[in-house]
Amino acid sequence: MKNIIKITASLFLIFTLSVSVVSAQSWSVPNLSKKKQNPYDTSTKNISSGKKIYNINCKSCHGDATMRNMLPLQPVAPSDLGSQAFLMQTDGEIYYKVNKGNGAMPTFKKTLNDESKWMVITYLRSFDKNKKVSKKIAEVKNPEVSDVKLLLDINKETKSVSANLTGVTKKGARVALQGIELSFKVKRSFGYLDISGNDAYTNEQGMIEIPFPSDLPGDREGHVNLLVKVTDDAYYGEITVDRIATLGVPTDPENPLDERAMWGTRANAPIWIIVSYVGGVLSIWSIIFLVLFQLIKLPKLAKTEE
Amino acid sequence: MNDLPEQKETTLSFEKIKEDILRPMQNHKGLELWIVFLITVIGVCAWAYYVQLRDGLGVTGMRDYVSWGLYIANFVFFVAVSLVGMLISSILGLLRINWITPISRIAEIIAVAFVAVAGLVIVLDMGRPDRVLNVLIHGRFQSPILWDVTVITTYLVISLLLLILPMIPDLAICKNELKKTSPVLKKLYNILSFGYINTPSQHKHLHKMIRTLMVLIVPVGLAIHTVTSWLFAATLRNGWDTTIFGPYFVAGAFVAGSAALIVAMYFFRVSYKLQDYITDVQFDKMGKLMVAVCLVYLYFNLNEFLVPGYKMKTGDDIHLKELFTGNWAIMFWSSQLFGNVIPIMLLVTKKFRKPLPIMIISLFIIAAAWIKRYVIVIPTMLHPHLPIQNVPENFVHYYPSAIEISVTVLSFALALLIITVLAKIFPIIPICETADNEGIDYKIEA
Repeated sequence: MKNIIKITASLFLIFTLSVSVVSAQSWSVPNLSKKKQNPYDTSTKNISSGKKIYNINCKSCHGDATMRNMLPLQPVAPSDLGSQAFLMQTDGEIYYKVNKGNGAMPTFKKTLNDESKWMVITYLRSFDKNKKVSKKIAEVKNPEVSDVKLLLDINKETKSVSANLTGVTKKGARVALQGIELSFKVKRSFGYLDISGNDAYTNEQGMIEIPFPSDLPGDREGHVNLLVKVTDDAYYGEITVDRIATLGVPTDPENPLDERAMWGTRANAPIWIIVSYVGGVLSIWSIIFLVLFQLIKLPKLAKTEE
Repeated sequence: MNDLPEQKETTLSFEKIKEDILRPMQNHKGLELWIVFLITVIGVCAWAYYVQLRDGLGVTGMRDYVSWGLYIANFVFFVAVSLVGMLISSILGLLRINWITPISRIAEIIAVAFVAVAGLVIVLDMGRPDRVLNVLIHGRFQSPILWDVTVITTYLVISLLLLILPMIPDLAICKNELKKTSPVLKKLYNILSFGYINTPSQHKHLHKMIRTLMVLIVPVGLAIHTVTSWLFAATLRNGWDTTIFGPYFVAGAFVAGSAALIVAMYFFRVSYKLQDYITDVQFDKMGKLMVAVCLVYLYFNLNEFLVPGYKMKTGDDIHLKELFTGNWAIMFWSSQLFGNVIPIMLLVTKKFRKPLPIMIISLFIIAAAWIKRYVIVIPTMLHPHLPIQNVPENFVHYYPSAIEISVTVLSFALALLIITVLAKIFPIIPICETADNEGIDYKIEA
């Protein structure tokens, strides 16, 4: 009986999925929606934040744009969203499809807000070879460099972290790298807290200064684990620096095992429970021993009587 | 069967009482065969335990979901049965109810045997019994497990004392009368009779001690089963997370224990030919007591299932539906009907309170009580709070393995063996108390 249910269920699934896949091939967009325009600028900042959103929401299936490393799903694999074939579509068409979803492509109507969706489209548009203008804006010209270095300076007075990104050109000169986004993160109990803010790009000197939040708890001495990295590995590979900074608010950690509680160790049992247990055991067993002691007197009573 | 017409035992003399009660201790072929049989069963089942010890608890049906299986259900049952000692010899004894005199020692023997084996069942459930002392060494005051270990030990000690102390005068008689018995037993009688010769001061002294213990065992007896229920009720699991679990278990224990006592009474009466002592009166009164405790238990069952069944709150609903109409319905309803409702209906009639009918009804009650413990422990364990993905098939079902069943049989055989041996070396009916009740004067020689 169970098998029949399983088979029917799988047949039903196969049927409905294939229908949706078939309909995926004819994914028509209403004319009105096609004409919708992207209200946001093609700025470096927008492209960068679009990329972040893309990496979180789209990359797992579509892979990196232009890299053709999408998930090999059957029968229709997700498209490479950086390919020219995809970018043929208008902004409105992409926006419509992201909202609607189709087949295995989920709807993002409620998952992402409008701004995020447009940021992703801005990011994807930066790969469009037909839109040279935007591409120019999107890219910051840095010379080709090797031996990229990220230097950190922690300023305790102003409670800020500054980073300096430099690289060595072919000619052997160390130059600043500008317009590169950095991520500043602080280690918390579960993962990292991003303190970069909205505009963490290096300036012409390859410098960037980030204020450290004034209310972030550190350990007893105020130490926090700071991690700074170049956000996008695609530029120079993975470049990370970590450092213990004394910028947090000194905090005495609370160990739940230190207090007397039900979950504590035996030594930290609540007083009332120790008193009840020990008191109960002592009172009952003292009576038992009293009776045993009386029992020894029993034979003597026979003698006194005689 | 040997149902005598209701006649007063007018012909009893101290000599006759002594003879009737001491005879089966000296010469009883059936009893010895029975002991041999029990030892054989224990021997065979001990092999199953050896396998479990050698290969680990993997040989049982217990897996990640059901980690308390047959053993713990059986443990709860054993603790329940042992509570009869406290009910009969202490509560009714303190109320100075006379008809319990001939059966109080049987009740106390059952209590000692079952609580001793209950403790052992816990050890049998351990994968590493060699670490049992760690419970005491590293036990936390917050843990009901430590309380349970403590209270079971305490109850065993007090039950043993309540078995031996009222027996001291009888053992003094044994010492004098049983000349042909083995030297070991002679020595035992000699030590345990504490030089008792029934002087007034000794009598007074002894009964003061007994009464102290009788009072003492009431809270300890209540505690033993209440704490056992807290092993369950102190968790947040559906079906266990209830405030009435303590009294509910105690009420159920009185039912199971009384049934066990009735069965034991019947077999001792027939096998030891004690119709003059364990009379129809005792069975009749036990039947009435049984109706009373069953009614209390029924009342608790109504509360335990009707109130959550009315609310059907999330979590409870799955559990209750499983019990009422699901996979556990047959076990649940048969335990309620055969262990509670039908016995009440039958035992209100006098003819069902005759020895044989009430013994058969009691067998059903015992079986139902055992199943009830099984239904309390296992269905709840089958519903873990944290769902796991890709759970192996044997996690979500529980069937006790042959090894588990054998070890459980071992625990029963061991309890019966302890009862039998105690009934073989000690007088099963209080000789002196019976004489006291009959107003017969007697002397115990030094």
